[in-house]
Amino acid sequence: MSMQVASQAARHSLTRFQRAPKITRKLRRHPKTGLPTPHVKIVTREFAPSRLEEHYHTTLKDDLMYMTYKHEIGERPPPRQIRMTFDPEDPYSKYRHNAPVGGSQFHKKPAPSSSPDNVVRLEKIQLHTMVKEAVANKSQLLSAIMQMKALTGETFQGGGHHAVEGIQIVRAKKSVGGWIRPNVPVGVKVDLKGQAMYDFLGTLVEFVLPRLRDFNGIILPPQSSSIKTPSSVSGVVSFGLPPSALVFFPQIEVNVDAYPKLAGMHIHFVTNAIGVGAQDRARALVSGFQIPFLRR
Amino acid sequence: MFPGPSAKCARLGHFLFLRSLTTEATCAVTRTPTLPVKQATRPQKSDKTSISTAIVLNRAPILTRSSTPFETAYYSYQARIRRALHNPFPYDFYFKQGTLIETRFNLEERKRERLAFGPAFLSKEDVSEEKRAADIAAVEQLAQQEGEGEVLMPRTHPSDTSGDVRSLDRKGQRNLYLLLHVLENGKETWRFPLGKVEKGQFLHQAAQKDLYAECGDEMDTWVVGKAPIGVYKPRQTSAEAQQASEIVFLFKAHIMAGQVKPQGDHIEDFAWLTKEEIKMRVHSHYWDGIKDILSDH
Repeated sequence: MSMQVASQAARHSLTRFQRAPKITRKLRRHPKTGLPTPHVKIVTREFAPSRLEEHYHTTLKDDLMYMTYKHEIGERPPPRQIRMTFDPEDPYSKYRHNAPVGGSQFHKKPAPSSSPDNVVRLEKIQLHTMVKEAVANKSQLLSAIMQMKALTGETFQGGGHHAVEGIQIVRAKKSVGGWIRPNVPVGVKVDLKGQAMYDFLGTLVEFVLPRLRDFNGIILPPQSSSIKTPSSVSGVVSFGLPPSALVFFPQIEVNVDAYPKLAGMHIHFVTNAIGVGAQDRARALVSGFQIPFLRR
Repeated sequence: MFPGPSAKCARLGHFLFLRSLTTEATCAVTRTPTLPVKQATRPQKSDKTSISTAIVLNRAPILTRSSTPFETAYYSYQARIRRALHNPFPYDFYFKQGTLIETRFNLEERKRERLAFGPAFLSKEDVSEEKRAADIAAVEQLAQQEGEGEVLMPRTHPSDTSGDVRSLDRKGQRNLYLLLHVLENGKETWRFPLGKVEKGQFLHQAAQKDLYAECGDEMDTWVVGKAPIGVYKPRQTSAEAQQASEIVFLFKAHIMAGQVKPQGDHIEDFAWLTKEEIKMRVHSHYWDGIKDILSDH
C-alpha cells in the first residue's frame, strides 16, 4: 500500500505542479486586449511521444537508406557548362533577362549523393481545398475553414511559433473571363509540420483510408510516363479525398451536422527528396506509413 | 531490365575473382628468390572466393518506447502550457446544450484540469450535490453502455518474464534479430542465417532462398532492397585462406508473420535477440563485423 502511494507521489511530482509559482512582478497588460502577458516568450513544444515519428526513426529510416542508396565511385563529373542565350559581357544584355540555352534543365537535376543526412523524410503535409461557390459568395468558405480547423487544430502563430501560419485563405491570382477575378478568396490551406503532421497522418491511415469503400490506393502513373517532369523531381506525393470521405475523420464525425457543406481536399506529402527519381523515393517513404499505392 | 544494384553486386563478385587472379600473378613475380622477405610479409591469396549471403532478419518494435522520467516530466510540462494557453473551446459548436455527452465532456475536462494544475486551481461548480451525483451516475451508465473501461494489454509479455528467447512477442519496444545456434565442423556457434550463392544467382535472390533453406517457409519475410547492407570476412587460418577465401554479404529482411522452423540437423536452436544479447552470444570477430548494422533502439 505504502509503495503504491510512493509511486503515485513520484508520478505526480513529474506530471503536475505542487503549487503554482508566486508571481512577484506585476504582469504587463496587452495594449489591445488588456490581457495579462507573461514576461517571457512562451513557446510550446511536443507534448506527447509521437508513434509514427518513432516508427520512422527506428524502422523506416534504415530501410529507406538501404533501398535508396546509390553507390558512387570517385568524384562526380563537373556539371555541364551552361551557355547563356546572349553574351553576358555584352553591355546590351548585361542586366537583361538572359536564360540559359536549352532551358533551366530542372527535370535533369541530379539527386544529391546518398548520405545519412539526406535519407528521405517527411517535411510537411499540406491540406488544400478549393470551394467553387466562394467566388460568388465568400461566406461559403466558412464551412471549409471550420472543417480544416476541426481537422488540424492549427491557429495563426499557434503555440508561440512565428512560422506557424494556421489556416490560410487562398486567393485567386489570375483573371478568368466571366468567372474569377484576382484577389478573390477561393480556397483554404493548412501546412502541418512536426507532431501535428504525424498525428494527422495517423488519423488518416487508421480511421479514414480503411473505411473508404472505393479507395484502393493512390493511383500511380503508367510505367511508360516520362520520369523527366518537374513533378517527378520535386519529391511530393499528392492525392485527393472526396467530401464523402471526410465524414470518416473522427474530428468531423462527432458533429457532421454542424457543417453546412463538406468540401473535399487535396493532401500533399512534401518530402526532402529532390533530383531525378525524387517522387519515387517520396512514394517509398509514404508507403512506409501504410498509404497504399496502386498501378492501373 | 535487370535491377541495378544487384547486377552491380554480381559484377562485384566477378571483380573479386579478377582481383584474386591478378594478385596471384604479382605473387608469382615476388616468388623469385631475389625477394624472399616480401613473400613472407604478404600471404599468398587463393584463386577461389566463395560468396555467401547472410540475412539479418529483423522484427521491428511493436510497442512505442516508454518515456524516461525526464521525458514524462517534459511532456506533461508542455501539455500544461498548451492547456493554459489554448483558445476557448467552442462548446456550442460541438454539443447541444444540456445533453449527456456535454455533461460527460465537462466532467472529464474538470478531471483533466485537476490533474494538470492541482485541486486548488478549479473554482467550485455551482450545482447542487444531488445534481452532481446524478450526472456522475448517468455518465457511468453511458460508459457501461458504450463498453468502455476495457483493460489495456500489459506492456510486458509472458515471454519477457519467462525468458523465452524464441518468442516473437518478447521485448516489444526493441528491434529483435534472428540468430541461429549451429553445429558446424565440430564447433558450436551463434550466427545469422547463411547460405552459399550459386553461380549465376543474384545476391538478393540468393539471400531469400538461403533464408528459406535454413529457417523454413512458414513465415512471411521481405528482403529490404536489392543491395547488401554490409560485408563480413570470416576469420580464416592461412591454410583455409589458401584453399578458398570466404566473403559474406549481409542483407536486411523483415519478418511480417509466422515463425522460424529450423531446417537441417546442423541447426540446434534459434533465438530472437536484441543488440546487447547478440554481443553476449557471438564471437568477438563476428561481433566486430556486424555490430554497426544492428539497431540500438
